[in-house]
Amino acid sequence: MILDHDQLDQLIACWVPSDSEQSISIDGLDHFYGEGEARKQVLFDNHLHIRRGEIVIMTGPSGSGKTTLLTLIGTLRTVQSGNARVLDRQLLGISRDQIGQLRQEIGFIFQAHNLFESLTATQNVKMATELIGLSASEAHQRISGLLTRLGLGHRLNYKPKSLSGGQKQRVAIARGIVHHPRLILADEPTAALDADSGREVVTILQELAKHQQCTILIVTHDNRILDVADRIINMVDGRIHSNVLVQRTAMICRILQEFPLFRSLSPRVLSQVADRMELQQFEPGMEIIRQGEIGKEFFVIARGDVDIIVDGKTVNVLGRGSFFGEVSLIKEQPRNATVRSNTNAICFVLAKEDFQSVLNASASFEQELRQAIFERQ
Amino acid sequence: MSTKNAGVAVTLFRAWILAWKNLTHDVRKLILAAAGVGFAVMLMFQQRGFNHALFDSTVELIQQLDGDLILVSESRFALSSEMRFPRTVMDIARSCTGVASANSVFLEHSQAKLRREGQRERPIRVIAFDLDIPVFRDNNQEIQSAQTKLQRPQAAIMDRLSKENYGFDLTNLDAEIQTGELAGQQIQIVGGFTMGRDFAHDGNLIMSIDNFRRYFKYRGPDPTTMVDLGVVRCDPKIDPLDVKSVLAEQIPQGVMVLSQSDYVAQEVAFWARSTPIGMIFAIGSIMGFCVGVIICYQVLATDIADHLGEFATLKAMGYGQTFFAGVVLSQSLLLCLFGFIPGFFATLLLFEVNSAFTGLIMLVTPVRAGVIFLFTLIMCVCSGVLAMRKLLTNDPANLF
Repeated sequence: MILDHDQLDQLIACWVPSDSEQSISIDGLDHFYGEGEARKQVLFDNHLHIRRGEIVIMTGPSGSGKTTLLTLIGTLRTVQSGNARVLDRQLLGISRDQIGQLRQEIGFIFQAHNLFESLTATQNVKMATELIGLSASEAHQRISGLLTRLGLGHRLNYKPKSLSGGQKQRVAIARGIVHHPRLILADEPTAALDADSGREVVTILQELAKHQQCTILIVTHDNRILDVADRIINMVDGRIHSNVLVQRTAMICRILQEFPLFRSLSPRVLSQVADRMELQQFEPGMEIIRQGEIGKEFFVIARGDVDIIVDGKTVNVLGRGSFFGEVSLIKEQPRNATVRSNTNAICFVLAKEDFQSVLNASASFEQELRQAIFERQ
Repeated sequence: MSTKNAGVAVTLFRAWILAWKNLTHDVRKLILAAAGVGFAVMLMFQQRGFNHALFDSTVELIQQLDGDLILVSESRFALSSEMRFPRTVMDIARSCTGVASANSVFLEHSQAKLRREGQRERPIRVIAFDLDIPVFRDNNQEIQSAQTKLQRPQAAIMDRLSKENYGFDLTNLDAEIQTGELAGQQIQIVGGFTMGRDFAHDGNLIMSIDNFRRYFKYRGPDPTTMVDLGVVRCDPKIDPLDVKSVLAEQIPQGVMVLSQSDYVAQEVAFWARSTPIGMIFAIGSIMGFCVGVIICYQVLATDIADHLGEFATLKAMGYGQTFFAGVVLSQSLLLCLFGFIPGFFATLLLFEVNSAFTGLIMLVTPVRAGVIFLFTLIMCVCSGVLAMRKLLTNDPANLF
């Protein structure tokens, strides 16, 4: 079995997010509505780290706090406590001037189009370019280009009254992205659009993310657009319930499927495994596990070779696609061997609890595992 | 600093453009808003108008006098109080240097009861003077043209703006002689003139001194020994102020020498300060102003509420306080203009109607219109400031 090196490199890149590249960095964020007796907590200890250029889709039942989180990130609401850095600025206690500057680097797309009835499509979009000091001709070119791409080339000088609901929403989207923001926050942007317009909007957002390294956070119930997400966040009752790097998980799934051990798993269980797997890198000669210790992890070798050493003697060499560490997890015994990497090795690592929950979820997996252990002996 | 100021100017200009477009794009809404503000403008004009009408009407007689200086008893606290001074003072005045002429004006109100057959007695103000030396400006030469007729016994001319309920046909004063009774004696109305009534007097009659003596014998063996007003005309070559100081020195104590405008001011001051009437209209004007603020606030607040989502979006884009303050203040200013102009013309019409019904003098002078405009401006700006607080102080998320 051969692993695609590019894929691995991408995976490894995914794993080591450098701080300077983070667009959004939230730790311990709480939020309360109301005051005194009516004070009600709506967000509980949320943590979220989003790298530059990611497309994040946030889902969850209504009232789960996703729009609150979105508006806090967008400085539309005052952060009360916790650490929240957006585009390299701390939001807790930010000054009014800084808020003004930060807002100019963010593009908003709201569920309601909020267009001025008194202004034409072009003039409405122009409200967003006036703050960033484009020349009139440059602004006009950019606006008409964008509106044309959104299928409104023949409606440039129409007022909202003469536009359909979908057309109005597209004007609002143009207004949200025309100034090339570094972060786009969208609350149900495609709710009012038909499939084609919705797809066109999503494609434009994807392009912005790719070419301008623009980070995009979308709150949506529209599952037609889930495929563009790099990360899907699910919120329940004011907490981030799950936070999945979709692309990464998909990539790990593809890799894991190559292993006989995981082949029998249903896609659902496989993605759970993939989602919980960490990637670890080992230098040559590094001890990965030591004989006699209590086992805490299960390893799958993605690249490189490792030596199995029992009582100081090398008894076996395992290569790419092999796994180890399972015996002490299943039997609750101390490690029966030491494992040392003899080349640069990269392993997928699954923690004991996750390993066991996968075990419980899939009878065939346990059988497969026992078969493999049997064969090894 | 200059670039920052330029930035503010650009921001305010954009705010003005947006305010203009928002306000004018829905004509029906604009008309409603302008009507609301215009109504408040009319309300203030009306209150101030009645206030001024009181003063204007009361001093109309003084305004119509054709003289440089006026002599009046110091005890005469108001024109309608019948405090007089001896006619000999007029002789002294006439002998002073710089005095071209000094004419006595006799007024009678309390004993001048006019009655038409079939009507009850009603007091009227009777004005008498030497007809050969006219004391009124008489712009339409109504008094002058009636001069011969007035020489006849029992003849008088009547103010066309007198109250209807005297029973005389005021539209037909020149065509036919109408007969009635004044202070128990027959009187013939032989013509008309124009002066106007006020809060104390329902009408006016002008007659000769001889006739005056005939009707008001109660004032003494010679009813004209006591003078109500003295009208002094100065030698055109001499400064009236100099003549005034000479007169003040020569005439006995108890008599004042006043310029026409001083006398007008003194009379107005009496009504404004010493009677509750000035206060009543001041309160009325303040109420008009308050109603205006409420209407205006309502109009602006509704408009801002209607556009709250849009404004919140602009705020989210990074538009600052200056811009929003600019939009709301521009809108107040425009509303002030859109409301004031129709309100002003409606007021002119309303005053015509008022005048026709009450006989009071209702005038809109440039200064008075300016004052009301200023009040309208303050009113709109106050409401604007009240209305934009929500916009300025709230997080955008709370505005959607």
